[in-house]
Amino acid sequence: MSNSSRIPGIKIIVAAAMALASGVVFAQDGGGEGGGSTNVDGSSSNGSGMFADFDISWGGFIRPELAISLGSENPNNQRGNTFNGVPTARMPGVPQPVDALGGLLPPFSIPNPLLADNVTRPVNPANNFFNLNLLRIELEGAMKFTPSLKLVARLRSIVDPGNYSSFDPVSVANAATGSIQGGDPGLYGGAPNYFQYSVEGMKRPNPLEAAGPNYLVYFPALFLDYQEGPLNVRVGNQQIAWGQAIFFRVLDVVDGIDFRRHSILDNAQEEFSDKRVPSLGVRVNYQFTDEILADAFVQKFQPTIYGNPNTQYNVIPTQFTVHDQYADYDTKLSYGIRFKGNFGQWGAQAIFVSRLNPDGVFRWTASGVNKNLPNNNALGLAVNALNNGITPNPLTGQIGTSGEILAQTPFEASPGGVYSAKEWFTYAASVRLDGVGGLNAAINEFAPSTNSLLASPVDNYTAASRELDTFFIAAGDGLRGHIAREYFREYNIGGGVSYVVEGEPGSLLDQLIINLESTYTPDRRFTNPTLSRDYIKEGNLVSALVMEKYQRFSNTIPATYMVLQYMHRTKDDLFGRSLKGYGGSVDKAATGVNGGSDYVVFAMQQPFPQAIWRIDFAGLYDVRGGLLLQPGLRWKPNGSITADIFYSYINGSITGGNPNNNALSTAAFADEITFRVGYQF
Amino acid sequence: MRIKKYDFNYGRRMLMEKAAKGVSTAGVLAPLWPMIGNAADTSKAYPDELLSISVFTKGKIKPGDVISAANVDAVKDLFDPITYIQIKNQGRKINVVESTKDVSKLFPNQYLKATLKNQGTAKFDDTGNIIGKDGGPWNGGNPFPEPKNGLEAISNLTLAWGRHSYSQYAIRDWDIAPDGSEAYKYDFVWCEMNTTARADGTIYNGKKDLLRYQSVFFTSPSETAGSSFLNTWYYDQRKFPDLYGYLPAFRRVRQFPTNQRFEPLVPGITLFLSDAWAAGDPMLTWGNYKIVGRQPMMGCISGINFRGGYHPNYERTVHGGPKGTTFFDTWFELIPECIVLEAEPTGYPRSPVGKKRIWIDARNGMFVAYITYDRRGEIWKSFEPAFAQYSNDKMTIKDADGFPDWSWVYVHSHDLQANRMSRFSQVREVTGGYKSKFSEQGEDVYSKYLTTQAIARLGTG
Repeated sequence: MSNSSRIPGIKIIVAAAMALASGVVFAQDGGGEGGGSTNVDGSSSNGSGMFADFDISWGGFIRPELAISLGSENPNNQRGNTFNGVPTARMPGVPQPVDALGGLLPPFSIPNPLLADNVTRPVNPANNFFNLNLLRIELEGAMKFTPSLKLVARLRSIVDPGNYSSFDPVSVANAATGSIQGGDPGLYGGAPNYFQYSVEGMKRPNPLEAAGPNYLVYFPALFLDYQEGPLNVRVGNQQIAWGQAIFFRVLDVVDGIDFRRHSILDNAQEEFSDKRVPSLGVRVNYQFTDEILADAFVQKFQPTIYGNPNTQYNVIPTQFTVHDQYADYDTKLSYGIRFKGNFGQWGAQAIFVSRLNPDGVFRWTASGVNKNLPNNNALGLAVNALNNGITPNPLTGQIGTSGEILAQTPFEASPGGVYSAKEWFTYAASVRLDGVGGLNAAINEFAPSTNSLLASPVDNYTAASRELDTFFIAAGDGLRGHIAREYFREYNIGGGVSYVVEGEPGSLLDQLIINLESTYTPDRRFTNPTLSRDYIKEGNLVSALVMEKYQRFSNTIPATYMVLQYMHRTKDDLFGRSLKGYGGSVDKAATGVNGGSDYVVFAMQQPFPQAIWRIDFAGLYDVRGGLLLQPGLRWKPNGSITADIFYSYINGSITGGNPNNNALSTAAFADEITFRVGYQF
Repeated sequence: MRIKKYDFNYGRRMLMEKAAKGVSTAGVLAPLWPMIGNAADTSKAYPDELLSISVFTKGKIKPGDVISAANVDAVKDLFDPITYIQIKNQGRKINVVESTKDVSKLFPNQYLKATLKNQGTAKFDDTGNIIGKDGGPWNGGNPFPEPKNGLEAISNLTLAWGRHSYSQYAIRDWDIAPDGSEAYKYDFVWCEMNTTARADGTIYNGKKDLLRYQSVFFTSPSETAGSSFLNTWYYDQRKFPDLYGYLPAFRRVRQFPTNQRFEPLVPGITLFLSDAWAAGDPMLTWGNYKIVGRQPMMGCISGINFRGGYHPNYERTVHGGPKGTTFFDTWFELIPECIVLEAEPTGYPRSPVGKKRIWIDARNGMFVAYITYDRRGEIWKSFEPAFAQYSNDKMTIKDADGFPDWSWVYVHSHDLQANRMSRFSQVREVTGGYKSKFSEQGEDVYSKYLTTQAIARLGTG
């Protein structure tokens, strides 16, 4: 921080107020002529008053950040949907609400070509030049009250004027199905909301955050720090990071991730520096010996924050409306402890954490949107006739209009949803869901309402496809799906060992740091690829092997810093998604993959003399065929200016196979080049 | 008035003879250390020409003069080659003061007492490490007040860098670009605590196997603030220190490889870890130590260089270079006898440094000039320290026993090849309210600054 004590007026006023309040009079000695040990300012360190060490320091920077798209539009957004403007055939099937033939003709096994059609998703595709265009201002400050007590604050402000070709929900509104309803109108009813984290039932899920559609202001850090001997206590809003692995989060389980702003596509080597979600809590450190440190925390639970619908790096397809149930978990606490020991060449650490998994899990939920199916098609007419709101539905006995019945299912008959079975399966596969199982779960878990609408569970892709097309045609403009996000407590048990190799001086092995970390989570809840409320519950082991090294390759340029990491996860992918949702495509439901997931990272930094220029490189390889490469260049011509440029190349199918077999295809649209120019003050 | 008994070049000739014969005794006319031990006037150890710049230059330069491009050739041999270039070609000017004759002003009092007390008891063990009288770690002070060889000379620098058991330096750094502009400015704090080889004769917390803890943490500007590093030095000088670092981007303490010690710590700075105290690496990771000469030297060791009382934060005025900001204003004096030591980075086969040359004041064993050469043998960098007893006409800083304290006051680190200058000034206080001090003063500095927990906290992690 800069500008320490350079605001003497404030310093004097605050210090004077404290001195008066405490009844302590203090002064700074200037001469230091007397005996006794002195600081080099001539004053005693111990003693001239309780607030003799009072100090304020602050600093900050301002930084525009631009990312120019070299890839495609985000397919998860309305205007990036790959079916926009593409005529797509729909083949409905014949419902079998009553099994009169003893299972010989399962529901929707018989096509209904009379009602077949072609549909074109009615959203105008966009072609954005910028993926990102924001201004960041950060302020840091510290106020030292005594040698043991200080207040640390970091304030981050971000403005995104939203200069993108964005989705306007009005553009898809029509007379037959109206406009998008359901969910938070702030997220789904208007222009994209770049920053507000919206949950149902509460206004301010992040306590120390103020956000609007185009701005975000929050405190990544605002805490009191008290240190006395080997004890360090921090109380307030703070981020906690554990573990030696970078980017791979193995022992780094304390905080969720904030995917707003630039998602995971900032400079990879800055890791999650502006990503961990801060949380109100207490952290206690105790340094038992040189070698052993204990680190414990209790935090208010704060979830991972995903990008909002139709924002640049949104990962939840906008055909879904999300109902975040965080308000039910707002008072929950996460807590944990870590022991860390360093013993010469060896190091070890162990953690135990009880937390609510901040990523949360998703399931179908009733839409609550009461909107009848349109009568502009035969299927809609038939369903409306069955559910007329006056007479009981002959199949289920429910009395209600089709809108009232639909409101009790996860669907909403509105534009901007899914328009065809092909779109359904394509998107189910891309977000690692099971297109057939997902349909069945939505029908089974919301019966009898779904039965009232003539829906029946199916057992194969073809029948599911016909059933889906049947209802998309009946809905006139397709259907939007509603999902809820919930959170569950879990226990993370982890450990790690490290070893520093001492080899021949100058050799590749000399001073190589090898680190192995693992975390096991018994009974972790995963989102079921069917979006069933019956979440997957299984033990998950995440392990990483990390090797780090500085090596001089030349006498004229400084040493190269290199990191090689390998990660294996037994049940999920890099983003925490169950591997059971892998393997789907437009033509088939998810098959799942066996053997866990494996990732390799290689990163390096090559500074040049005086470190004014630096080349960065990071590569992430998913062994099932995904690749992320990020070369970059950093220039720091003087103390005030820092300029960065880095290119993110993401290939979701480098081996030509099914891109839905690897994690990175999720972000494959986001090839881009990012520019950042920071000015410090 | 002293009677001149010797011809004009006697002193220099004798120093050359001593170097050639490998004579280790400090002093030309008489051994120096017995005089120091008896609190005698040590000026009797040297002829006038080595204690008076006026005599040495036959009146061409005298105390109160300013050495500049116009007159530097008269004393060219008394400067290291980079300082000479700075004066001759880059507008540097150096004020001249009388030579210090009271050797007690060249040490912290406790360290001088320890040197005298333990004189003659240091030995090397089979591993090349120094043992004290009880066969354990060195007991404090300079282990070899009159070094007979290069290894003994570097021992005096390595074992107790700052001559205090604990030192905490609040440092303000300006990094000057080739065009003379102040391109970068950093505030940082450097803490060093010996666990062994302490002047008070104790072993800190039973840590016999360690030499020191040393941490450095940046407090300004905001982009760099919070970057913190902790080095734990083993007493065994064959071993690399352990290095833990807190980088703001990572938000946590991580272990780092420690063998690359020739890299800039932050952008724009010319300082390498290896440069610290001209002995920044464990001494047995270097080799081919040899004393290549003895000579008088101009050096910055006078109390006038302490700027307490002249600037509220003890900062220094500047001059020279393209924009008048490249060099601190400074006061040099003639040092009668310097040992010229060379060494090679034998434990760092890929080091960009091919050799270092250190000029060490034979009286206190501390370096006054330090030059590195690249692998081609070309002069690369200088690391010019200034030391002072912290006492001038306006202010005196005293130690716990009431004696004026002693430390470094500034460093010029000049990369001649890139023509970049880093100016480090030990100041009263830097951003964050951290102050310089030379003892623990009852504070638990170990917990505050010298543990992995501490660097996480200092990094606001």
